[in-house]
Amino acid sequence: MVKPFLGEDDHQFSDDDNTSSSDNTDQGEQDELLDEEELMPQDDDLEYDEERPKKLTKKIRQPPSSAAGSATSSSSNPFSVPSDFIPDVVSKMFSNNRHDFSYLKLKPDHASRPLWIAPSDGRIILESFSPLAEQAQDFLVTIAEPISRPSHMHEYRITAYSLYAAVSVGLETDDIISVLNRLSKVPLAESIIEFIKGATVSYGKVKLVLKHNRYFVESTQADILQMLLKDEVLGKLRIDGEAAGLSKEKGPSMQGLVIPGTKKPDGSNVNESINTTNDDIYTSVIGEKEEDENDDDDLDAVHSFEISHESVEIVKKRCQEIDYPVLEEYDFRNDTRNPDLPIDLKPSTQIRPYQEKSLSKMFGNGRARSGIIVLPCGAGKTLVGITAACTIRKSVIVLCTSSVSVMQWRQQFLQWCTIQPENIAVFTSDNKEMFQSESGLVVSTYSMVANTRNRSHDSQKVMDFLTSREWGFILLDEVHVVPAAMFRRVVTTIAAHAKLGLTATLVREDDKISDLNFLIGPKLYEANWMDLAQKGHIANVQCAEVWCPMTAEFYQEYLRESARKRMLLYIMNPTKFQACQFLIHYHEQRGDKIIVFADNVYALQEYALKLGKPFIYGSTPQQERMNILQNFQYNDEVNTIFLSKVGDTSIDLPEATCLIQISSHYGSRRQEAQRLGRILRAKRRNDEGFNAFFYSLVSKDTQEMYYSTKRQAFLVDQGYAFKVITHLHGMENLPNLAYSTVRERRELLQEVLLKNEDAAGLEIGDDADSSVGRGNNVMKRSHHHNNRNGKAQRVAGSLASLAGGEDMAYVEYAGNRNRELRDKDKEHHPLIQKMYYKSGGRKK
Amino acid sequence: MTRAIKGALVECDASIRALIVRIDSERHDVVIQELDETHLLIDSNKVDFVKAELNRLLSKNTYNPLDDEEIQP
Repeated sequence: MVKPFLGEDDHQFSDDDNTSSSDNTDQGEQDELLDEEELMPQDDDLEYDEERPKKLTKKIRQPPSSAAGSATSSSSNPFSVPSDFIPDVVSKMFSNNRHDFSYLKLKPDHASRPLWIAPSDGRIILESFSPLAEQAQDFLVTIAEPISRPSHMHEYRITAYSLYAAVSVGLETDDIISVLNRLSKVPLAESIIEFIKGATVSYGKVKLVLKHNRYFVESTQADILQMLLKDEVLGKLRIDGEAAGLSKEKGPSMQGLVIPGTKKPDGSNVNESINTTNDDIYTSVIGEKEEDENDDDDLDAVHSFEISHESVEIVKKRCQEIDYPVLEEYDFRNDTRNPDLPIDLKPSTQIRPYQEKSLSKMFGNGRARSGIIVLPCGAGKTLVGITAACTIRKSVIVLCTSSVSVMQWRQQFLQWCTIQPENIAVFTSDNKEMFQSESGLVVSTYSMVANTRNRSHDSQKVMDFLTSREWGFILLDEVHVVPAAMFRRVVTTIAAHAKLGLTATLVREDDKISDLNFLIGPKLYEANWMDLAQKGHIANVQCAEVWCPMTAEFYQEYLRESARKRMLLYIMNPTKFQACQFLIHYHEQRGDKIIVFADNVYALQEYALKLGKPFIYGSTPQQERMNILQNFQYNDEVNTIFLSKVGDTSIDLPEATCLIQISSHYGSRRQEAQRLGRILRAKRRNDEGFNAFFYSLVSKDTQEMYYSTKRQAFLVDQGYAFKVITHLHGMENLPNLAYSTVRERRELLQEVLLKNEDAAGLEIGDDADSSVGRGNNVMKRSHHHNNRNGKAQRVAGSLASLAGGEDMAYVEYAGNRNRELRDKDKEHHPLIQKMYYKSGGRKK
Repeated sequence: MTRAIKGALVECDASIRALIVRIDSERHDVVIQELDETHLLIDSNKVDFVKAELNRLLSKNTYNPLDDEEIQP
């Protein structure tokens, strides 16, 4: 939210600057002038090279902060501040945090160019209202990481990884620089050019190839391999004998690959048209396109040496450290050793333009690249995975997070493509059959494959089967949740030629995302949520944060209590309850289907019982769950359900059109996005003027406000705007409003205060996160246990209260809707009742 | 005999009132009289102190995305 403003600030200051620069510049000589500037000697270039980070996580060199302290010391500024630059009045405010770029000279026709590129950190600000914006976006998504994409200003950042991704899809260093320069309002800074060159020059020269179930390090230039072999770490890892020298082979060839599902009904190829439009963009900005590049590759001989399975990861890591990151590619069409899998998309299946775009990044040169594709929830990640499998047409292994999604994947494969059911095997704790044919498809979970403890005889047999084979393709669903250690085990035990990771939210609170870069590959494509919503692929969502003031009594207690109990107090805030009741009432009137999310099981039950709605949480039996979900889908009388964390990911309910969030997992951005995903696939999304609603209820003046803002960060970056509602009109007039009297609120407060601290704990549920055992959570939990065991709790109270003798009495507030639904189901047909339940009938 | 004490009238939300009362509970020299749900009479010399304390306490509940950025060099 803040970042785009910085961009605008830049804009203003540079505008001032521009008036002076364009005054003394002749329009016609403009380009020459720019070149001159670029060629200006840079004192710091050498220094930059020496300092160039060995670790790629490091970014572009920062100017020394002390020197940047005063704007007048322009001579010591590493970003070539011209000597005639006179800082204006406000420059000081930006200089200390290195955000003053007003010295950059604007190009005279800057108005028609859409980009700002910050010389210090590779940040790119795109004016998305510019006519060139769409083309610029396509280009930027390829070379940079999208950081924030609200409606008018987009922010991207060039990183080493994003540049690798760009190179791996076939962009050349010079192209990147020249296109950026063309789109930028200011001449490209030397620091950025150096950075791009540094990151791209060595990349893609070394390839890691899996052939005949053995790993080879491959390169077209023998001297690079010789250099690698001399490396102290890599040299030892070579296993095909020192004397043998480098083996030499003919290079791979490409051309003529068609991604299935891209055929239009009239026979012409959609893929082609997409490609040509892409080319148009590049040719229009780059000037020309290298056509013959492919042929060169054919002629090149390839040199290689072999390494062992175990050392693959060490090699990858070491290669990154010495700035020769390996590129993983799989030439599946020339792989005759592995039998083809008879699999193709059904003729009726058509993939959407953005799905195709993401796949064209993967198969851009006719080979399969490993990498990650990021699409919002509900935008058809599954179909992308299936199409990729149909393109490669070799044995496939699919890994997902839970046994529920295993069944979903299997069912989706059967629905979208022509694979025979007997070729699909499922490997879960209760199903261990393998396919009998020579190629096939296996669906399993991460935990099944990565398990290191003792296995049953059957599953050991299956594991042997999995590890002994060579797989064409491994599909990794929901890659963001898997802990790195588990991932590593999976990726190293299963020999797969190409890896594709799928996810909606490539964010983690623990910064482990960069691990995925070398475990799977670069991010190949990331869709723009707002774009998809506009085109109707996902639903339009109105997001709102509802501020519920704490009642005086609750807030007094809140200030006194420990952190864990505080949480219980702000969740059970009577005003929040009223807001929830009001919103449910309001949206049920409109005919919406509502899901209410609460992480806290105690609150979930309290809310649901009081409001008479069915609820599902971790310990709800499977049968009851199915029953409730079916009723929610088909029964007009059940329009609202309450879900705990279990509903975050695995439950797919296209009927839902409204979400209300009562409590959440602290500041988890991912949970917020996943929950929003529940309504993005709303069935009614294409109705005219349809909006889905997402409400987040927050107790004012509490810690919850902090978490709430933090949680929204991801969605805000995707361009969602959260409206703040401070008062719900008409709430006071709602009939049967709960806790409307002081007495009722006092009673609730008493009840909450009597609750053990445990009730405030989060559910240890079977959601995606905990089923794959993120190390983080486990640690936290055991910590709590220690606390609990370590200290006895002392509570002051009167004897009467302990015996329940104060003003407490057993009252059932509302019937359990869950039971009602269940009982209704058990009612027998009157005829049968008459015959078999005579006694029961008489009672009635 | 009637006694008059000079003070500042504070009108605020119930939650802020609770916060001020809490600040007072440690020193007992801020609040002169609790009037009703949304009004307090406080010592007029302590107004600035109360403001500062409120700012400090409430800022804990505000998330600033820039804080995170500063940590990463």
